[in-house]
Amino acid sequence: MFSKGGLQLHINTPRETGFHKTTRNCLQHIREVLLHHRWQDAAEYMASYSQTLEDTTANMPQLYAEIIWRIGTEILHHHPNSTLEDYNSFYERVKHSGVKHYLKVCLEHSFHLLVNGQFEDAKLQLSIAESWRYGKQSAGQSQRIRLIQAYSGFLDYFIWCDKKATASNEYDAAVNQEMHSYFRQSSVNLKEIMKLPGVWDPFVLSYIDMLEFYNGHEGAVKVLNDYAYDDSFPPNPNAHVYLYRYMKKQNHPLKKLLKVLKILHTLVPSHELMPEYCSLLNEGDLQKALGVVLDLLDYSSWRSNLDVWNHLMNIIKRLRMKKQWLKIFAEEMGYRKDWWLAIHFSTFQARKDSAENRELLEVKSFVVGAFCPHCK
Amino acid sequence: MDEEQTGGYSDICGQCGEVNWGVSDEGRFYCRSCHNVIERTKEVVDTNTFMVGTSRVSSISKGTRRKKLEQGREWMVCEGFQFILKHQAEALLAMGVCPQFKDDVLCQFWRMYLQKSRQAYTKNPVHDGKFRLRSQGSGESDSAPESSVMSDSMMSASETDGDGDWASGGGSVSGHTSDGASSVCSGSIDAVSYLTPRQRRSQGLMSMPKTLALCHLALLWAREAITLADLLRFVNEGHIPYVNAYEDFPEEMKLYGRDSLIFRVESIPSYSHLHKEAQALAVFLELPLFPPITLDCLLHPSLLTLRYLTEANLPDELHDWVCRIMEKAGMESSVTFEPMRSRSPLPHYDVQAAALIIIAMKLLFKLDDHTEWDLSNDASDKNKENPDGNSFNLRWWYRTMQTALTTAARRQQDNIARKHWKPQKPLYTSKKDKSVVLKRRRIAEQLQLSFQKLSSSPVAPPSTPPSSFCFRWGEEGEEVWDGPSLHHLTLDSSVRQRGASLQPANPEYWHPALRACKPRFCKSHYAEVEVTLPRMYVWLLDLFSFLLGVKPGCVYEEVLKVERRFLGSSKSQPRARATPRKTQPKKLHKRKQTSKTCSR
Repeated sequence: MFSKGGLQLHINTPRETGFHKTTRNCLQHIREVLLHHRWQDAAEYMASYSQTLEDTTANMPQLYAEIIWRIGTEILHHHPNSTLEDYNSFYERVKHSGVKHYLKVCLEHSFHLLVNGQFEDAKLQLSIAESWRYGKQSAGQSQRIRLIQAYSGFLDYFIWCDKKATASNEYDAAVNQEMHSYFRQSSVNLKEIMKLPGVWDPFVLSYIDMLEFYNGHEGAVKVLNDYAYDDSFPPNPNAHVYLYRYMKKQNHPLKKLLKVLKILHTLVPSHELMPEYCSLLNEGDLQKALGVVLDLLDYSSWRSNLDVWNHLMNIIKRLRMKKQWLKIFAEEMGYRKDWWLAIHFSTFQARKDSAENRELLEVKSFVVGAFCPHCK
Repeated sequence: MDEEQTGGYSDICGQCGEVNWGVSDEGRFYCRSCHNVIERTKEVVDTNTFMVGTSRVSSISKGTRRKKLEQGREWMVCEGFQFILKHQAEALLAMGVCPQFKDDVLCQFWRMYLQKSRQAYTKNPVHDGKFRLRSQGSGESDSAPESSVMSDSMMSASETDGDGDWASGGGSVSGHTSDGASSVCSGSIDAVSYLTPRQRRSQGLMSMPKTLALCHLALLWAREAITLADLLRFVNEGHIPYVNAYEDFPEEMKLYGRDSLIFRVESIPSYSHLHKEAQALAVFLELPLFPPITLDCLLHPSLLTLRYLTEANLPDELHDWVCRIMEKAGMESSVTFEPMRSRSPLPHYDVQAAALIIIAMKLLFKLDDHTEWDLSNDASDKNKENPDGNSFNLRWWYRTMQTALTTAARRQQDNIARKHWKPQKPLYTSKKDKSVVLKRRRIAEQLQLSFQKLSSSPVAPPSTPPSSFCFRWGEEGEEVWDGPSLHHLTLDSSVRQRGASLQPANPEYWHPALRACKPRFCKSHYAEVEVTLPRMYVWLLDLFSFLLGVKPGCVYEEVLKVERRFLGSSKSQPRARATPRKTQPKKLHKRKQTSKTCSR
C-alpha cells in the first residue's frame, strides 16, 4: 500500500520538522493499531492524522490524501458502528481531498453503493463523475472515464431490471416509459464500451438480456459475434459460450452451433460444454467426436466422469462397425499410446472405482476390452 | 444580497425562508437574515459556471470598499513579535510568575532589543530611507505592550490610496515594491526586507525561537523557578503560545504571503538550540551581570537538585551528598550568569542539577553494573532482618522508576503523535494559494470530525494543567499515582560512619577521560562512548534526559564538566579519545579538609 514516496514517511530524516515527526509517529501508531484490529483507536489517530492534508511540502498532500482514503475505508469496513451515512460523507470528503484520485474515489463510492443495493445513488455518483472536468487531469484519465461509462450503463441495466419487475405486474405507461428510457441510456453507454477491446462479460450479458426482452435478435447475435470474433479483443472463451447459448436458445441451425463449439474446443478442450459438443457430433463426424472425448479424458476433472466414459463406449461401439476403425483409433490415440492405458486403468484406480462407482468400472472394462482384446 | 459574490444564487434559505445570501471569509454561503450557513461554497459556484459553459460569467469584482475593510491596517513585523511576547508573558503570569516579570523585565528587554537592532528608539533605523516616515512613527509611539503602535496618520495614508489596487501596496511605501518582486506579498510592511539575505546574515532579527530565548533570559533575570527545560515542556504542552501564536493577533493585522515564513513554525526548538540563542541574545543585548542566584532562589543548584530528587523518587538524604559535591566542585562561583565575560557561558541550570545528582549516585553506588546490586542485596537483607527498617534499596527504586518511565515515555510518544500543528486560520503564501489552502483546511476539519465520530472518545480529553513535576509519587490508593514514594527511606546501608562524617560504603569511583576537547573541534563523544559505559549509568542518563527533555549526550557532557571541577585539575588527565578507556578508579574520601586518598 505504501508506494515509494510513502517510504519517506517512515524514515526519520535528520532535519525533520516537529510537524513531520508528529505525522510520522502518528502513522506508526496507526499501523500498529490496525494490525491489532483496534478500530476505534485507529479512528482516533486518524482524526489527528487529517492535518497532514495541510502540509505545505510539494506533492505530499496527494500522498497523504491517498493514505487517508485507504486507511479510512479499511476502518469503515471493520468498525462495528459504521453506517452508510458515514461512508457517504467520508467518500464525499475524500473525493475533494486530492485531484488525481477523484475519479477512482467516485468509482469506489459507487461500487460501495451498488453492493449495498443503492442503485439510484450509485448511478448519481457516476453521473457526477462523468461530468467532471479538470484540464490535464481529466484528459489523462480516459481509461477511468471509460470504466465509469461502462458502470453507468451497467447500473442503468440494474435499474431497468427493477423497473421491469414492477412493471410486469400491471400495465403502467409511466413506468414503462422510464424503463425504456433507462434501456436507451444503458444501451448507448454499453454499445460505446463494447467497441473497445477488453473483457466485458457482465456488460455483454446485461446488454443481451435487454435486447432479448425487446426482441432485437439480430442485433443481439451481431453483438455476440463481434464480441467473440473480433481479433483485437483478447481471447475469451466465455464469449463463445454466450454466443452458443444464445444461438441454441434461438434455435439456430446445427452447423452454426458446431462451428462455435469447434472454436471453443480449441480454446478450452476441457470445457463443460464439450460433452454436449460430443453428443452433437455423434450424429455426424464420429472421428471428431472421438477426438473430443479423448481430449476430455486427458483432464483430471473428467477422468471419473461416467457420462464421458459412456460417450466413449457408444462411440467405440459405433465405430467398430466401420471398416477403418482401427486406423481411426490409431490416428486419434497417436501420441497417447504410451501413457493412456496406464493412467486410466491402474489397479489403484480400479480399486477406487470398484468401491465408489461400479458402473464406471464396467464401462471402463468394456473400453479396455475393446482396445486391447489380447491383454488382460 | 451581494449579487456579485453569490453569483445570483437565489434559493430560499431553509431556516428563515428568505433569499438574502452573503459569502463569508472562507467562501461559504450564509443567510444574512438568520446566519444559517449552508454547504455551498463560492468556489463551487465558480467552477460550475465555468463548466456548464453558459454565458453567465461569474463576476469577480474588485469590491473596493469590501477590500478596504479586509485590508486592515499596516503593521510591521516587530509589532507582531511584540504581540507574541505579550501573550507569552501573560501565559507565564497565569502560571504563577511574579507580575514584575512582564512589565519590568521582559518589556525592558524587548525595548533594549528594539534599540540594539535599530528597529525603534533610534535615530538610525534599520530600514532605509523608504521607510523613514513609517519608522519614525513607530519609534515615537509608546511601546508598552498593551497599546497598539500604529498612529492615525498611517491609517489615513492608506485610506487615501484610492481604489483597492493591490499592486500599489499602501500609502507612502509604494517604493518597496519597486524591487520587481510580485506585488504586495505580505500583510506586514517589511516582511520582504526582513527576510533579505543581508538582514539574515546580521542575525540581529527576531525569530520565533528567539522569543522563547528572550523569555528565558527574562525569567533568569527575574530569578524565577522556570528553567529552560520547563519552558520547553510548557511550550510542547501548549501552555505557552508558540505554535500558531499569530492566531491571537488582533483582527486588523492581516497575515499572508512572506509573513508566513516568519511567523509560521512547524517545529519546537531543541534545548541546545535555544540555549545557544539565549546566549547569543544576551551578548547582543550587552546585558550586565545578572541578579545573583542565591541560596533562597529556586534556580540555585541546592534547591533545584532537591526538586529533581523529589521528581526522581530518590531519598531526601541524598541531598546532603549532593550539597557536599556542590561545595567541593565550587559551583557557587559559576552560578550567576554574566554575558559579557567570555569565560562564563550561560549555565544549564537544570542539566547541571541533574549532573550533580548523578555524580552523587555514582559516588554512593558506583554504578558499574555490579556494586550497586550488591549494595541493594545488602539493603534488602537489612530490611528483612529489621522489618521496620526502611533502607533505600536501589533495585526496588529501579523497578519502580522503570515502570513509571516506560508508561510516561509511551504517553509522551502518544502525545507527539496526536499533536495538532495546523492552525484554525491557515496562512497562505500567495493569493492564488489562498483558495487551495482554505479548501484543504476545510476538508481536513471535516475528515477530522468524521473520524472523531467513529472513535471511542469523540470529545478531546481535557488538557492537564501545567505542572513542574512529571511523576507523582505517593501513598497507595491515591488517584493519580506513578508509584510508591521512596523519599523517606534512609541510606544507612550505603554509608558508613567514619569518625565525624559519613562516607559512602562504596570505596571506588570511576569516570571517563575528563580532559575537555577544544570546543570548536569536537562535538559530543557520547555516541561513541555509550557502548562502553555501564548499562545502569546509561539508564540513569536516559532517565534524566527524559525528565528534562534533552539528549542523553547533553547530560553526559554536563556530568563530565562537573566531574572536572569536582575531581580537580583536568590537565593531568589524558584527552578524550574516540574510544576512551576507564581510568584507574580513584579512591575517594568525603572529608572536606584533607586531600589525601584513603584506601580500604
